[in-house]
Amino acid sequence: MFGQSREVQQTLKFMSLEIRNLHARIASNGTEILKGLDLIVEKGKVHAIMGPNGSGKSTLSKVIGGHPDYEITEGEILLDGTSVIGMEPDVRSRAGLFLAMQYPMEIPGVSNANFIRAALQARLPEGEELEATDYYANLYSKMDGLEMDRKFTARSVNEGFSGGEKKRNEILQMLMLAPKYCILDETDSGLDIDALRIVAGGVNSYRSPKVGMLVITHYQRLLDYIVPDIVHVLVNGRIVRHGGKELALELEERGYDFIREETAA
Amino acid sequence: MTVLDTTEHPANESVNTTGPDFANHPESFRATQQAAWEKFTSLPMPKRTDEAWRFADTRTLDISRFGRAEAVSDATQAMLVKLSIGLEHTSGQMTFANDRLLSRHFHGDSLNAKGVLWLPLEQAIAEHPELVAKYFMREEARIGSGKFAALHASQVRGGMFLYVPRGVEIALPVETYHWLSGENASLFPHTLIVAEENAKVTVLDYFANASECPGFVCGVNDISTAAGAKVTYVAVQEWNRNTLAFHMNNTTVARDASVLTLRLNLGGARVRDEAVSRLRGPGGRSDMLSVNAAEGAQIFDQRTLQIHEAPNATSDLLYKNALNDTSRTIFTGLIRVDKGAHKTDAYQKVRNLVLSDEAEANSAPGLEIEADDVRCTHGATSGALDEEQVFYFQSRGIPRRVAQQLVTFGFLSEVFERIPDAALAAHLCDLLHGKLG
Amino acid sequence: MSTELLDAPATQLDIDRSRGDFVYPESHEFDAGTGLSHDTIDYIATVKNEPEWIREFRHKALDTFLAKPMPTHWASHDLENIVFQNIRYYLANAKRPTRSWEDVPDDVKKTFERLGIPEQERKFLAGVEAQFDSEAVYSNIKAAVADQGVIFTGSTEGLIKHPELFKKWFGKVIPTGDNKFSALNSAVFSGGSFIYIPPGVKVKHPLQAYFRINAENFGQFERTLIIADEGSEVMYMEGCTAPKFETATLHSAVVELVAMKGAKIQYVTVQNWSNNVFNLVTKRAIAHEEAEVKWIDCNIGSRLTMKYPGVVLKGRKARGEVISIALAGDGQHQDTGAKMIHAADETTSNIVSKSISLGSGRSTYRGLVHIPKHLKGCKNNTECDALLINPTSRTDTYPAITVRGTGNSSQHEASVSQISQEQIFYMMSRGLTEAQAMSLSVNGFVNDLVRQFPMEYSVELKRLIDMEMEGSVG
Repeated sequence: MFGQSREVQQTLKFMSLEIRNLHARIASNGTEILKGLDLIVEKGKVHAIMGPNGSGKSTLSKVIGGHPDYEITEGEILLDGTSVIGMEPDVRSRAGLFLAMQYPMEIPGVSNANFIRAALQARLPEGEELEATDYYANLYSKMDGLEMDRKFTARSVNEGFSGGEKKRNEILQMLMLAPKYCILDETDSGLDIDALRIVAGGVNSYRSPKVGMLVITHYQRLLDYIVPDIVHVLVNGRIVRHGGKELALELEERGYDFIREETAA
Repeated sequence: MTVLDTTEHPANESVNTTGPDFANHPESFRATQQAAWEKFTSLPMPKRTDEAWRFADTRTLDISRFGRAEAVSDATQAMLVKLSIGLEHTSGQMTFANDRLLSRHFHGDSLNAKGVLWLPLEQAIAEHPELVAKYFMREEARIGSGKFAALHASQVRGGMFLYVPRGVEIALPVETYHWLSGENASLFPHTLIVAEENAKVTVLDYFANASECPGFVCGVNDISTAAGAKVTYVAVQEWNRNTLAFHMNNTTVARDASVLTLRLNLGGARVRDEAVSRLRGPGGRSDMLSVNAAEGAQIFDQRTLQIHEAPNATSDLLYKNALNDTSRTIFTGLIRVDKGAHKTDAYQKVRNLVLSDEAEANSAPGLEIEADDVRCTHGATSGALDEEQVFYFQSRGIPRRVAQQLVTFGFLSEVFERIPDAALAAHLCDLLHGKLG
Repeated sequence: MSTELLDAPATQLDIDRSRGDFVYPESHEFDAGTGLSHDTIDYIATVKNEPEWIREFRHKALDTFLAKPMPTHWASHDLENIVFQNIRYYLANAKRPTRSWEDVPDDVKKTFERLGIPEQERKFLAGVEAQFDSEAVYSNIKAAVADQGVIFTGSTEGLIKHPELFKKWFGKVIPTGDNKFSALNSAVFSGGSFIYIPPGVKVKHPLQAYFRINAENFGQFERTLIIADEGSEVMYMEGCTAPKFETATLHSAVVELVAMKGAKIQYVTVQNWSNNVFNLVTKRAIAHEEAEVKWIDCNIGSRLTMKYPGVVLKGRKARGEVISIALAGDGQHQDTGAKMIHAADETTSNIVSKSISLGSGRSTYRGLVHIPKHLKGCKNNTECDALLINPTSRTDTYPAITVRGTGNSSQHEASVSQISQEQIFYMMSRGLTEAQAMSLSVNGFVNDLVRQFPMEYSVELKRLIDMEMEGSVG
């Protein structure tokens, strides 16, 4: 796929998030959503997944994150060569996965600062305490970068946040937790243009040869700000097409129907 | 909070048969005690079929093994005074062990202000018998524990009497520690707060044992306000896991007065909390809050009554329970709006977070409305941890167990946001944190 | 036999209950006399020519009834005003109901024609049973429905003709000793419906029963048992009326529903008893796997109604629902509610209750939701809303909810409010009278529930509410 030799793929395996023939269904009713999905997100690259509503985009992000609502019936998810299937979501996170959610949860009574602190604390060896001064210095500098008011540290996680504030808070967590692979699920939804610029700025600041990113979006607009290396099109639970960033523009212009027609043919 | 008391001695005769504890009370008060004792012996023990005891196991209410507590040794006294550490800044602190005063400290002058009385109850009864009589247990125990209220009145000696005269504001909280020591010993702590017109005060009670010995507590905390008074009362209950405790409250809220009570239940084997707020004047407001972290085999049995006697008053109740292991909680509450109490705004909410398959949450929020122009609502929810929340925590690398602790802490500590005093709210957060770990 | 209609004097006419408030002179062939004893039981069992096991069942039930105290430690003390020895327990003429409307005695026929029964039957019902005092006088089921194997008869005929079906469930959903009044019913029951729907049969149109009390100092004790076999569906509707007598009348029914796997039962009641009837009814259903039972209950009449329809959710994914409207007029007490007993995984229950209190009327909601331990995925939702119209009106809400374990959830919400004066003013400024405005407001309050009733009933309900409101303004 995408013109990589077998040897290159072997090497990539240890420097990538690889999804192989992934089949997944909704645990409660057995509806199959992902139907044999293949994808490799290499370190240093930004991949975008686009697709119509109901194609399985959000399911893919949740399945990678280990959401209990879904069951994997076939296939593999390999994080730098190690299968994450069966791992608890927190283990996956500490292994370097990060999921920026489309609808971040509100957690009443738990302050944002304590939440992020608990997440960092969980990454330290037993008996080691997070250094509070360093933590706050780091937190504040990241918040400044995202133009977030300091008051968000004391507020309950996402509670009463606007759509844009929630998305900024997701990116703040990403920057604080420093993951190896980031999955951004519809991070542009609910953002006005200013918020989109700030959020995209935060994401771009984290791009590096050590980080692989998977940007899931319905609209091309986000990809003007976070320019992808590769664009994939997801239809009906499978990747049906790959291309460069121009593919996104083509989709924007022609809609998803032409791909549906092509793949049906 | 509990320490080993090396001077334990078993209590003697059962509090069931011992008769009134006259202590050094004057003759007039002894008559009250004698009458209360007669009432105690004549009233039947609660039965499960009594509506006020619905859901409760009344078979375990036998108090015959508990006897009157003796004075504690000097060494224990010194230790308990040392352990009585509350807020950093207070107006004063009293410490009692086995209903006997160990220490009283004034911090600053506010409790020495003109007309303020801040006395051990025993002294107040001796020195201001008429004033005490005017406020001492004037309201009928209406929600189930009449027998135990009578027992309390017949045995009372320890506790705090606080009288805040018209217009006096005591800025910093007033703290009282109540310690129980001795095997099968009984405690009858009393708190009586009287706030005259536009007076303002915050009071904290702490309840704890000196050891892990079984004990029995039968306490009363009453609050009486005159027009425009503002009272905040917080009870921090940390009895040991072998203690059976009753805490009974009567609050009266006068015109434009406001009273906020918060009960933080952390300890106890079985704790029955009864709280009654009477809205007696227009513009009055009563906030009734409770935070309950139940684990092991703890039983928190809570009964509340919001009585709107006057129009245009507000009451707002929020009780939150987190239940682990085989613990049980019972909440039975009633909003009662009397005829003519129009423009009442009454709210009542109980929320249960059930964290274990063996835990049981019972809720019975009730309404009795006899006035038509009112706004009354109540709600009760019971549910497990929100799995979406847990997933969110886990997706950030926080293990499930820690996520559960954090969510539980968040769920309960949210109630403290209703406390206007930030230092006090933070203090309560710390105490809760201590239990949840 | 006189067929002359004796309308109640106009001064006694309550506008709201005019439709049911008329009385024919009585002449009963069978009369168990006044008062209750083991002789009364023998009289009833003999007249009804019942098998021995039922006679024994009745005698035992009477002992239970006599031994049980009144539930006044939680319920209204008005119950103490029932004088059991002043009540007549069995009054009947023909022992077997006629299948032809033509053969119904004239006075009875006129009574029911005034209540609109034959018309409605022709219009949309699959079967009708009409009970006059203790016995059904008319019972008919459309041939097409009977041909599908549906049984729709009275309780006596049910227990005699279909003993296997009947005995299997009779008294099993509601045991004799469930409460004092279920014991009373078990001792003296007569009339009511026995319905069996065979597997897979979906009865398209409702089955209808009318209950009419015509005699003073009388107690009506019908007994209904509905069994919906696997995958079947049925809707049953009952209407109740009585004339207004000087003395109290007692209506105490027991209704048992059994929904087998995948079956659906809807049970609709519009109770419009005159306001000296004590209406003390026990209604409960068992819902097996994936079955659905829905009680749709409207209480407008009676002096005191105590009725808490329940569903025991016995099979996985069973669903129970109670939709309840109560209107407590001057001097009335509607003490109604719901019970949901979850006894299997993934069972769900929903309770929606709306009450309106007028004048000195009092409406009470009592609810019981029980989700015991080790069940998973059980959910309950309860909403109770009360509307108070006058300064002397009263409402109470007493829910009791027990939830064990981590797999279940329950949510209860209740509110009490009054009609918005702004709303009334707005409508009056557009030319409506105050009564019209109030009616519109009240109808708006219950509208979402009224829509759940079958069309004919929802029209009737709106009419009844309008009439109640007319009397309450000013």
